[in-house]
Amino acid sequence: MADAAADFRDERPSLPGVWLQRVWRLYPIAVVLAAWEIIAHSGFISPLLLPPIEKVAHEFWQMTASGDMAFHGAITLQRALIGFSAAIIVGIILGTALARNRIVNRVLEPIFIFGYPIPKISLYPIFIFVFGFGDMSKIVLVFLECLYPITIQTMHGMRSAERVLVWTAQNAGASGMRLFWRVLVPSAAPAIFAGIRIALPISMIVTIITELIGESRGLGYVVAFASASFEPARAMAAFAAIAMIGFFFDRSLSWLRKKALYWQADAPAFS
Amino acid sequence: MTGQTAALAETMPEPKTAFAERRGAGWLIPLAVLLAWELCGQFGMLPRYIVAPSRIGATWWGMLVSGELTGHAASSLFRQSLGLLIGASCGTIVGVLAGVFAPISRFYEPLVSLIYPVPKVAILPLIFVWFGLGDLSKIVVMTISIFFPTYIAAYHGAKSVQKIHIWTALNAGATRARLIRQVVIPSALPDIFNGWRIGLALSFVLMVTTELVVSTKGLGYVIARAEENLRFDRMYAAILTIAILGFCADRLLLKLRGYLLVGQLMSKDSGHG
Repeated sequence: MADAAADFRDERPSLPGVWLQRVWRLYPIAVVLAAWEIIAHSGFISPLLLPPIEKVAHEFWQMTASGDMAFHGAITLQRALIGFSAAIIVGIILGTALARNRIVNRVLEPIFIFGYPIPKISLYPIFIFVFGFGDMSKIVLVFLECLYPITIQTMHGMRSAERVLVWTAQNAGASGMRLFWRVLVPSAAPAIFAGIRIALPISMIVTIITELIGESRGLGYVVAFASASFEPARAMAAFAAIAMIGFFFDRSLSWLRKKALYWQADAPAFS
Repeated sequence: MTGQTAALAETMPEPKTAFAERRGAGWLIPLAVLLAWELCGQFGMLPRYIVAPSRIGATWWGMLVSGELTGHAASSLFRQSLGLLIGASCGTIVGVLAGVFAPISRFYEPLVSLIYPVPKVAILPLIFVWFGLGDLSKIVVMTISIFFPTYIAAYHGAKSVQKIHIWTALNAGATRARLIRQVVIPSALPDIFNGWRIGLALSFVLMVTTELVVSTKGLGYVIARAEENLRFDRMYAAILTIAILGFCADRLLLKLRGYLLVGQLMSKDSGHG
């Protein structure tokens, strides 16, 4: 008996063992970085094209210390987040109207169904003409690109809200805002979150694209300008900052989703 | 993450039969809007950057007849289809293999979860430095961007094949290659198509983006030049062409999916009508 108990205890992995396994699982990243380092130092490829990692890290540190990174990063973040939050607010309202109101549905549904596969980025030159080269045209484009997935997902979610729940609430005397906040939004929340999760990376992508096309501020501009002036280390440092923002956005949203939708078991977490 | 791609495919609206049924009424209001737009244009009440539909149509027809539009569209579509084909094929093949062989998935999983949420288009200027300003760098950017969603969709599809089907095939003496060809791929096809649909939309976005940044030919180039010359009618004609192409490509893929997946769509898609 005692032996069996001891065996049982031994089979439980110790805490450092678990952590070691988790770190070991990340070995492909180390493989890729090592390959990069070896190629960069081998001299096959000019350092003007592929700088070694330590140079990129040094550049990253210098840009952070000089405040360049914070300045450009803040501008990029601001554009992405303003357009994205506006799209959330308008998208949820529009999606609700599309699902609940017949006239709005008739007028707007064709626009959303047929407009979905069309790349909205092709409208950007017109937005530049209308709103100018500055922040406004970029924010409007981010807003428009994010609006589509959020609106359509909200519409699906609101449509599939259970009739019985809506009827019960209406029978109990709920209407208008109360029905919206207490019944419709909670039952459509998983769908709305799915739309937001699609829109979040889009907001960053579109902001970067607009900064590549024409701008003198923002991280996308730094990548474009540094590449054009053959400073790949600087471009890669800015790209690393963009990557970190994208990764951070994704992780914080899935964290938020777990907190907000605790009743939903099938959270789309990346295992 | 797999949930994310599934949700993304779900967002893309499908042509609905209900919509087709009430088409008569559904088209009235958009037609009225179009008519009002045209009338405003005729009476000169529109700002300069909004062009009346009839003028867009006339310019579009003129550019089509002169062969200008087809040349640019062909150049754009060449890059777009090549980027989509290479990127989505690599993503699908690696994804299916990763779903079948655990070591492959263990290698790709950390890389994909790290790179997937990153806006990869930001690397475009560096790619231009590496591969020049021509077609190659544009195709490379598309390939990189399209790889990830198609990989995730194919991996998810290959992973969720029912164990019983695999066991039955193995019991009947199927080899690995045969198992993949006749069991894994057919049951993963709906997911693979979802990935291709996302890749298709992405390829059109990147087609326009890369051409707006640098190009000498293509529909994005037409837009960029028209903007410099303030020829808004030409700009709208090019945008209209991109819209038509994007829309038709999407519907074509859906048709192909409906043709290849007879009977499989019912069970997988019944959840979100």
